Amino acid sequence: MSVLTRVPRRRRRGALTPYLFLAPGLLLFAAFRLYPLLDGLRLSFTNARLGRTQYAWVGLANYERLLEDTRFHASLWNTAFYTVASTLPVLAIPLALAIALNRGVALRTWLRSAFFFPFTLSVVTVGLTWLWLLDPVVGPFNYYLRSLGFPVRSWLADPSTAMWTIILTTVWWVAGYYLVIYLAGLQDIPRELYEAAAIDGATGWRSFWAITLPLLRPVLLFVFVTHIIGSFQIFGQVFILTQGGPGDATRTAVQHLYETAFQNFFHFGSASAMAWVLFAVIVGFSLLQFRVLRGHTEY
Amino acid sequence: MSAIDGAVSRRRVLAGVVGAGAVASLPAAVRRAGAQAKPTISYWNGLTGADGKVMDDLIERFTRETGIRIEQQRILWADLYAKLQVSVPAGEGPDLALIHTIEVPHFASDGVLEPIEDGVAAGKGFRSDDYLPSTWQGGLYQGKRYAIPLDVPQHVLYMNTKVMRDARLVGADGKPNVPGSKDELLAMAKRMARGDTFGFAIGTVNPGKYTWGFQNLLWQNGANVYTADLKRSALADPAAIEAAEFFGAIHAKEKVAPPANASCRDAFIAGKLGLWIAGSWNVTGLRDAKVDFAVAPVPRIFKRPVVWTMPHQFTFPKPKAVDAARREAAWTHMRWMSDHVAEWTLKAGQVSARRQPHADPRITGDPVLRTLLAQAPNWQGGQPTPKWVAAENLTRPMIETVYIGQKPPQAAMEDLARQINALPD
Repeated sequence: MSVLTRVPRRRRRGALTPYLFLAPGLLLFAAFRLYPLLDGLRLSFTNARLGRTQYAWVGLANYERLLEDTRFHASLWNTAFYTVASTLPVLAIPLALAIALNRGVALRTWLRSAFFFPFTLSVVTVGLTWLWLLDPVVGPFNYYLRSLGFPVRSWLADPSTAMWTIILTTVWWVAGYYLVIYLAGLQDIPRELYEAAAIDGATGWRSFWAITLPLLRPVLLFVFVTHIIGSFQIFGQVFILTQGGPGDATRTAVQHLYETAFQNFFHFGSASAMAWVLFAVIVGFSLLQFRVLRGHTEY
Repeated sequence: MSAIDGAVSRRRVLAGVVGAGAVASLPAAVRRAGAQAKPTISYWNGLTGADGKVMDDLIERFTRETGIRIEQQRILWADLYAKLQVSVPAGEGPDLALIHTIEVPHFASDGVLEPIEDGVAAGKGFRSDDYLPSTWQGGLYQGKRYAIPLDVPQHVLYMNTKVMRDARLVGADGKPNVPGSKDELLAMAKRMARGDTFGFAIGTVNPGKYTWGFQNLLWQNGANVYTADLKRSALADPAAIEAAEFFGAIHAKEKVAPPANASCRDAFIAGKLGLWIAGSWNVTGLRDAKVDFAVAPVPRIFKRPVVWTMPHQFTFPKPKAVDAARREAAWTHMRWMSDHVAEWTLKAGQVSARRQPHADPRITGDPVLRTLLAQAPNWQGGQPTPKWVAAENLTRPMIETVYIGQKPPQAAMEDLARQINALPD
């Protein structure tokens, strides 16, 4: 006799109810997330090209080709560089701003809105604005640098500065978003802890290290993980600011993938293989982060 | 007032509105009855600039005259091509699409475009004799016709009168001197280049897109991206390397061209660029910006004064089943547009692929259009291989490294040829 027959019918119906409520969301998730994901995995083992109805199973050939694709390697390296180099500014600058705003500086609400404003802009607007600001000939950035007697350069066309410039524009764009998250986290920390620390003679730095930072850990983990995942997917800013240039100096993995899929002959098979490699890298990094930053501090 | 009263009165009001509307639209409905048999066709194009408005006006006139309605979808060119590639196999393509010549081979080879029988085209009044050869040839892929040319976006030399006057490079009549050779061009560019003002640039508005300027140099030197049999890349040949060397010298060595990533168009408008070889589609924008400029044919920098072109072509994306009435309506539009192409030229600034309007006094009277027409014997376009666009995408980053002096021209060209040869089928 199966287990199910012993469960009263009403209880069984009750057990189904949450799934019925979840069904619309799950169906959408399955249709628009799970199916493309798995179909992409299937395509990565084929020589599928958009526009051709017939394609063949090629086994691991697309993955093997990636091992020899030096531009893909360069793109992955650039993506990793961007991710590592942008992490500290993205974690630290909004945190510093949030701590300053949390201390009740004048015009706090206004400043919070001002910092958040860039994040409300689309990546195209941000990209085009900075492209103009940084134009080496007619851009205001170089104009003021020149008039102040500083040396000027073509920030986005110089391989040594292009990626750093993209990082700068990204920090400007997303800092406000992380600032709001940090502020929410800071306001969750009980004030009594700071008062108690002050009575014990703790200075600002000491209470920051001993109270603020440990209690902000879940928020930091959230910011850290979402930033790393977002960094591995960086595309919009680069596409508008440099198109991956100069040369391939700022070419990223997603740009390489996009061009393979949509500009370079619609090679969906190769592009799907790239997507799965990128997916594996992101999952690997995320697991590593959770391992490093797991744990919870309470007082 | 009760709820029921309210409902009734609302219904009365609605009935009144609908009735009044019906009466008001009666003459229009009667007028439309005669045109009811005329189909509506869908037409996709990438005319997202000022030329889009010109096209709207012409299409409005076309509808007034023929009764055929056109539903346009205007999408950025790059997105348009991706959309065609996705929609057409699914049977969701438009009745008519305007594309660039270089897109014809890969769309034709992928079965996205419907072949056009020469007899059918001739029956509609489209004959090769009426067109300039390079544009008519651009509609062919492996001997079959897939497209009918409309107009010829092309390179031209823009000369900034103010910058050239400041460098004393104008004649007694105040008109800018025109460079006649590579040495003359470089000498003039050097005289103009100082501080943040540059003497010469070759390329498009968009940053990073140096490819078309480089192709122009390549073709002038008798070189090309592929060998004549289209089987392998010819970019490692000495003539191609020589073109790359010049491209690398103008900024990295001679310092006469603006830094990479600069908007040449903005620099030209701001009076910080003297000579600029760029697309004819910039004319309208420069005129709107009230820049004092003149144009001249693209100078002969290498062996031949070849002018880069990328004509627009009318195509029929392959439907699941041809609707005879809609196909006929699309032909009617192509015919009407070709017959009225002089107006398109005058307002949108692109000269026609068809010869007949070239004698129109309104066109020959315009100095810019006259210059564009004078270049016609030197027009050249991309090679008819499905891999052309993919090769172009590989060229941009590589030629950029040459431009900024990061990679020696020969090594870059050899690398690029290798990459192009490795492109999958």
